[in-house]
Amino acid sequence: MTTPAPLAAEPAWPSPLREFCRAFARNRGALAALLLLALLVVCALLAPWLAPFDPAAQHRGFLLAPPAWLEGGQARFLLGTDELGRDLLSRLIHGARLSLLIGLASVALSLAPGVLLGLCAGFFPRLLGPAIMRLMDVMLALPALLLAVAVVAVLGPGLLNTVLAIAIVSLPSYVRLTRAAVLGEIHRDYVTAARLAGAGRLRLMFVAVLPNCLAPLIVQATLGFSAAILDAAALGFLGLGVQPPTPEWGSMLASARDYIERAWWVVTLPGLAILGSVLAVNLLGDGLHDALDPKLKNPD
Amino acid sequence: MSPVLIARELTRHYRVSRGLFRPAATVQALNGLSFELQAGQTLAVVGESGCGKSTLARALTLIEEPTAGSLQIAGQDVAGTNNYRQLRRDVQMVFQNPYASLNPRRRIGDQLAEPLAINTDLSAAECRARVLAMLERVGLRAEHYARYPHTFSGGQRQRIAIARAMILRPKVLVADEPTSALDVSVQAQVLNLFLELQQQFGTAYVFISHNLAVVRHVADRLLVMYLGRPMELGPAERIYRKPLHPYTQALLAATPSLHPEPGRQRVRLAGEPPNPLEPPAGCVFHPRCPYATERCRGEVPALREVDGREVACHYAERFV
Amino acid sequence: MSLLEIDNLSVRYGPADAPPVVDGLDLRLETGEVLAIVGESGSGKSQAMLALLGLVDPPGRVAAERLHFAGHDLLALGERRRRRLLGKELAMVFQDPLAALDPSYRVGFQLAEVLRQHLGLRGAAARRRALDLLEQVEIPAAASRLDAYPHQLSGGMAQRVAIALAIAAEPRLLIADEPTTALDVTIQAQILELLLNLQRERGMALLLISHDLAVVAECARRVCVMYAGQAVEVGALPGLFDTPAHPYTEALLAALPEAGTARRPLRGLPGSVPGRHDRPAGCLLSPRCAYVQDDCRARRPPLDAKRQSQARCFHPRNQETP
Repeated sequence: MTTPAPLAAEPAWPSPLREFCRAFARNRGALAALLLLALLVVCALLAPWLAPFDPAAQHRGFLLAPPAWLEGGQARFLLGTDELGRDLLSRLIHGARLSLLIGLASVALSLAPGVLLGLCAGFFPRLLGPAIMRLMDVMLALPALLLAVAVVAVLGPGLLNTVLAIAIVSLPSYVRLTRAAVLGEIHRDYVTAARLAGAGRLRLMFVAVLPNCLAPLIVQATLGFSAAILDAAALGFLGLGVQPPTPEWGSMLASARDYIERAWWVVTLPGLAILGSVLAVNLLGDGLHDALDPKLKNPD
Repeated sequence: MSPVLIARELTRHYRVSRGLFRPAATVQALNGLSFELQAGQTLAVVGESGCGKSTLARALTLIEEPTAGSLQIAGQDVAGTNNYRQLRRDVQMVFQNPYASLNPRRRIGDQLAEPLAINTDLSAAECRARVLAMLERVGLRAEHYARYPHTFSGGQRQRIAIARAMILRPKVLVADEPTSALDVSVQAQVLNLFLELQQQFGTAYVFISHNLAVVRHVADRLLVMYLGRPMELGPAERIYRKPLHPYTQALLAATPSLHPEPGRQRVRLAGEPPNPLEPPAGCVFHPRCPYATERCRGEVPALREVDGREVACHYAERFV
Repeated sequence: MSLLEIDNLSVRYGPADAPPVVDGLDLRLETGEVLAIVGESGSGKSQAMLALLGLVDPPGRVAAERLHFAGHDLLALGERRRRRLLGKELAMVFQDPLAALDPSYRVGFQLAEVLRQHLGLRGAAARRRALDLLEQVEIPAAASRLDAYPHQLSGGMAQRVAIALAIAAEPRLLIADEPTTALDVTIQAQILELLLNLQRERGMALLLISHDLAVVAECARRVCVMYAGQAVEVGALPGLFDTPAHPYTEALLAALPEAGTARRPLRGLPGSVPGRHDRPAGCLLSPRCAYVQDDCRARRPPLDAKRQSQARCFHPRNQETP
């Protein structure tokens, strides 16, 4: 028989998930980012219990109180208060909930249709594909923020419309990415083998090809997450996004513009929060990319 | 016994755009190929780059529809119809690159079960049982079911690919350079597996290769192709012993031998295969043929019977 | 003194006690000689060449008792001098010609670069010499090819250009790593003949690395067979292929389709090459060898002289005088 002799001691083969976790854990920046994001998630989930005060509650006697470690500050308001006497710490914690929500929702709303459109563009390259791509080209030709502003101007300000606007603006990048990945995989032998096994288009799209296109999509999704936070902050800054008194970090920045000299903490702390979360998400994305990419580029 | 595969005048042309200002050109990747194959027999197809072997593989498995000609598998006309269901059960393929022919994101057991799930009514448990039996048949073990392709060597992956192709018990298996990427000792194991499976299941093979030594080992019949056209077709051993077409002679002469005779004159074929967009007139081989005459430059030689095989050469008799 | 003298070359990746990918390789190559290194994947043949060229990067480590080329001690030379020496006297041709040529520059430009760097030729003189080189590698219409980009050339043409680049600096040793594996069989025959002609005309030594035993049989005078990082048999052709001493050489030859009877099973070698983690204590072939005995499993055999070759085996084959 042609049975080859079994190996003397076969090493245990970890599942791809475990290999991925191990590769990811080697990247210290990514691990730190993961911790920071975990902290954000905790804040978001437990906001009502973590925050010492109601974020909308105004404390008339303590307008623009400095943070606790500065002169004139008090332990009660750890990070100080804003121009209406609202506790900054509570507002930041509740703001985390909003930012995460905006990030997740806009990514989900653009990822799903983006992937579907990209798959269709790759699998129907004669008519449907070019049509989809030209539409995406048009969308990409407009500056993202301007487009978001336009959408919000049409739909009106508010949380839901902010999310919608950001989702629309991020759609083309997912479509392009998916289509490029699909085109790369669709001619490979294993897809032909699946066709020969009798797989129909749907099975080819979702079972054969899509799982092999996930790596760049996952990375783009994390970057899209951070971009969404920034876009929401920009919209909030322009007064078009989430409306006061909802404690969104960007609108907190906007309303504190005038106090930058007198009370730097009202501007700086929300800014740092935005910076920190975006940095964390980007580092996470890098870590994911490094952990996913080598294995998928060079499967052996 | 009627043949399990009958190809008649199989033709495949491609339109190639040459830019905005020139008319599109036609590449005649396959031109008028006719042959028959019996069950349990192996037809080897040899030729160099651009000869159309890969196009032939895709046409036989109907990944691409032929432009013209007919293809009959087990008595059923398949070209031009949409009867893919039956075809998928009857014709399967093994690819050259063992590192690209398995889906990296799926367990091999699932990949082997997929053809059964799509084409049969077997329950999940029955599918699994068949897959395990097939794994063992190709020399792997039950615990390999749940592993991913990247944990296997090239030779093992090729066995898995063979298992996947054979799991539906196809009547025809097209093997496109299945051992070219493998080491010598692994190649021997895989070739042995091919022969065993053929004996057990009676599958007919279309074995595409550029390695004439491998081909001599496995082939019953041989088809030599050049620029999409058949040059010589017939019983393999007969052609090896006495090749009548100058191209076949050149191929055999160019093949290095393990025990070269000292002072042997190497008939070296000059030049390179022509551009498929501009095939030569008359016999496509004439620019490189050491015996070309005026007739070869003008007249396309028909494939005709000479000395127990078919040759497409005006002067085939000279070598008999 | 030989052109190339390698004694006890080892290449390891990772910690100092990691299993070696090249294990104690000894090699001698004379001026103008054609030596072939034969092995399958995992034999270490390509790694050995990379070590010779100084292309093994950390975490790889190269160790050798002696690594002499053209009279120079490669281990003692500084980085810069080593590069200059190797660039001129030693050249390499790779398996994929299109990977060896820079796709962004014309062929003539790349040739002129080499000529300028190693022979100091410029301008019209360089162009003339480049044309001459292309004609030597038998490229038709050489003048027009000087202006071509690599992707405009066929595989055979590109390999000829790669060879022209390699011989441009007039090296004393040409290493060809699977130079014809990616080419059609008729083109392969042309390229091999070209390499042998150039080697003869220029008195260049040729080190041919291949897994194709038939190619080796046609081209080389001496062969070194490698297995799992070690040289297991070294000797002259055709004797080595007619009556191999080492069981691995014998098994390799027996596994070839040429050696079998048509349509009958081939005599393959069971099992597979030991990986880094399951290397046997004794002879590396012992788990797979058909002639294994107890002493094979206990100790590693040294490479020593047998009847007509050197073999690393306690019980070599074909030792009776014919």
